Amino acid sequence: MTQMYNKVTDEVVAKLAAICGDQYVTTSEPLRHSYMAKGIMGLEAVLPECIVRPANAEEVSKILVLANEYLIPVTPAAGGLSGGFALPAIEPGGIYMDMTRMNKLTVDTENRVMVVEPGVKSGDAWRIFKTKYPEWAPPIPDGAPPAATVLGDAIERGFSLVTGVYGPQADMIMGLEVVLPTGETFRTGSWALDDAKAFYRWGVGPNPDGLFLGSQGSMGIITKCAIKIVPHPHYKTVVAYGGETWDDIVRPAWEISKHELGIAERTVMVQGGNYELVMTRWPKENVPIDYEFYKKIGIDKKWMNYECWAWSKEELDETLKGIDKIYKDYEVREKRTLPQQSLHPKQIASRLKKPNKIAIPYSLWQAGFLFITWYTPWLESSAMMEEYCAAMENYGFPPTMWVASIDHARQAIVMPILCFDSTEPGIFDKIREFNLETTRSFLKKGWVNYRPDPFVHAPETFSKTKEYYKMLVKFRKVLDPNLILHPGRLAIPWESVTDLPNPLNE
Amino acid sequence: MTSLEDLRKINARCIHCRACQYAYSGEPDREGETEEYTGMLQGCPAGIYFGWEGYFNSGKQWMARAFLNGELPASKEFLEVAEACTTCGMCETQCPNYIDTVSVTEALRAAIIDAGVEPLDKHKGFGDRVGNEEMRNPYAEPRSERTKWFDGIVDNKDAKVAYFVGCTASYRQQQIAEHTASILKKLGVDFTVLSDEVCCGSPLLRTGLRKTFNTVMEENLELFKDFDLVLFSCAGCYKTFTNDYTEQSGKELSFKTRHAVEYVYDLIGEGKVKIEKPYNEKVTWHDPCHSIRHIGIAIEKRILKEYNNWLLDSRKAEKAKEAHYEIPRVVLDAIPGLELHEMYRIKGDSFCCGAGGGVKAQFSDMALSTAKERMKEAASTGADVIMTSCPFCVTNFTDAIKSLKEEEKETGKDLSHLGSKMKVVELLELLDDLI
Repeated sequence: MTQMYNKVTDEVVAKLAAICGDQYVTTSEPLRHSYMAKGIMGLEAVLPECIVRPANAEEVSKILVLANEYLIPVTPAAGGLSGGFALPAIEPGGIYMDMTRMNKLTVDTENRVMVVEPGVKSGDAWRIFKTKYPEWAPPIPDGAPPAATVLGDAIERGFSLVTGVYGPQADMIMGLEVVLPTGETFRTGSWALDDAKAFYRWGVGPNPDGLFLGSQGSMGIITKCAIKIVPHPHYKTVVAYGGETWDDIVRPAWEISKHELGIAERTVMVQGGNYELVMTRWPKENVPIDYEFYKKIGIDKKWMNYECWAWSKEELDETLKGIDKIYKDYEVREKRTLPQQSLHPKQIASRLKKPNKIAIPYSLWQAGFLFITWYTPWLESSAMMEEYCAAMENYGFPPTMWVASIDHARQAIVMPILCFDSTEPGIFDKIREFNLETTRSFLKKGWVNYRPDPFVHAPETFSKTKEYYKMLVKFRKVLDPNLILHPGRLAIPWESVTDLPNPLNE
Repeated sequence: MTSLEDLRKINARCIHCRACQYAYSGEPDREGETEEYTGMLQGCPAGIYFGWEGYFNSGKQWMARAFLNGELPASKEFLEVAEACTTCGMCETQCPNYIDTVSVTEALRAAIIDAGVEPLDKHKGFGDRVGNEEMRNPYAEPRSERTKWFDGIVDNKDAKVAYFVGCTASYRQQQIAEHTASILKKLGVDFTVLSDEVCCGSPLLRTGLRKTFNTVMEENLELFKDFDLVLFSCAGCYKTFTNDYTEQSGKELSFKTRHAVEYVYDLIGEGKVKIEKPYNEKVTWHDPCHSIRHIGIAIEKRILKEYNNWLLDSRKAEKAKEAHYEIPRVVLDAIPGLELHEMYRIKGDSFCCGAGGGVKAQFSDMALSTAKERMKEAASTGADVIMTSCPFCVTNFTDAIKSLKEEEKETGKDLSHLGSKMKVVELLELLDDLI
């Protein structure tokens, strides 16, 4: 496998410096280590041989042409917050392309679209909108750290602050500027036409966006992305309802969201979890682990938050009343007790804050954590969470679980948070075992992983979707004949990540 | 001494979220006067200056981890990256995982040096000079002249209060020492200064020269052990005694410590001091990292250590930290006529002057560039005076203004929007004038 690629030589480094400037290329060993990450979204990472920081798409293109000529793998990373997913998975590590210098943002309120480069951080986008376009909001990821990039979230089909209504972040995309591994640059949608605005996603012909979204940078490098912006009404609040079981929070949310119009439309974010989601944000030794404590402070075993946006107080009140009525009717019909939580104004303010650091402190429990994310049909998410929590406890992890509605509760994004001690010997093997066991079970049930891990999720999934994998490899070979982009991602090449039988040989 | 190995598990909490790169990383909705100063802002002096991930704390934590795991060897190149940080602690304020970022950076520097890498030249120079018993200061001055500036009784054994002057005020900015002593006299404090005082060791601990640090720490602890209270005018010395001596020696101090500004604050609170003379100036206040942020964070962490339910008690700890950040503001508020115009990045989120952590000596360009960035922010408030209480901040801001003035002379441009016309004032000097 590694024989396919060459090492980064002094000659290559000199050529990279000629493209980007000396000051934007380094082979410094300490600096290369500084880009490493094993946490949040992935645990595998291998040291790159060289870091390069291009300033624009033209430089990106020249770097890719060079890498193709010398057969050197290239890994693009925007904020790098996909953790281990942002680093080359295989030896040799190749070139790591740090895209943070490309950080321009333009906004077109008339056509309700913004264009972001890879380095635009959520916090920066939020600041610019707050000061210049307060009536609009950039669909930044909700819950991702403020240094997460808008583009990285969008092209990974992530989660935005209005996902409950608008769907995954990728659904907000109106056009892409892509640099192919062979160096060609093109735009998708109406944007493909010179001087046209990014106003119509399906643009001038069959739209190839889907090949690049979720490809983990393995099909092409997206250097610009046109993304819908959303109106930002300033009447906002959060209400929360508790319950004993996962169904207690999942089913009423479906009742609220399925109508799509009216109160569902104004309920932009529906997300919940269990009391462990609160508990594991603190050190294991410095927080009560008995549920009785959480009960006393008003935290239910499970709960669902509803974030509502409206144009007036009346509209907001009507939305809250509507949600409450659905809950009351549900309680009577299903003979359940689902209390509304009494939220302190500070709790509401904290939940409304975007972007926020809410997802970061899970390392405090021990010393490290991993988010694993899956999509299920909304009403099946209870079963998944039930099974996931049992498996987590079996493996000795606290059953910390988060769930959110995507597009009016059509789908659920289910995310266990594995809190562990990353200094414990053998812990990464244990996590891999856990991941394998749950992945095999979930795939049998027809649930799909979001942002598949190259060593577990991707090979296990593609072993069950052989024809799809064959087609994916065909596309990949057209776009990236030498497979220089992010090798190993999406299990391409297959043997670089797994010993399972290669679907291409069947 | 806390080693990098001791911090392994704390370092392992880093998930590389990069929140530490920003001031107000948790306050994206923070209101500011302009687009430039609104919401979260870049806050790491080294990261801003060098650009590469390794210069931000987020990158340093992962280099430290690689070093701990034997994946990254000690080298001069590594030390140069690790030393290019003012240890201002902006990153530590931001970290939701409560990582002791500055302790990790300082321990990493020490570990690289302990592994056989020669300290960087300027650091080695002041390490050697402090290590020299004839000097015990980084300025190569004779030890015998340490208290030359003082006209009171040196080594007064009857005094219960000692003023730890520090090397900079003893040899370079004696006016700070004189003003502090003058304030204490006016306040009727029976204090003394000690001729055997030696460098607090701050520049050594920051830059990884732990052996010599340990020597001077032991000498100072022995020298001051019988006092009730030790007062400071230097933010760095104050932080070193208060936070580092306890952490590095593993023992509680046998005396109380207080910065002179805090001492005045105490007396104002008790109604024993009332400032009547006016100071009719528009002032912006720069929080020295050592005496404000570092002490504040230590207060918070000390409280957390005592509690076993952080979910409920972390807010109490945070409130105590925030109360500490108010101290200079209470003092400024007590000065009639003083019009305070706060900068955007203040208190725990204050942007460093650029001089700390051994940076002023070893990376002077970075120090100057950082000071200019802060001066620009100061100028944006419309204030005429940038006030602080730290000899290093005073020096670095003065250098920044000097450089701006030179640039004005060379280019003929008016750089007042960058702070070229501002005046740097040490709060203790002003208090001496007003009290």
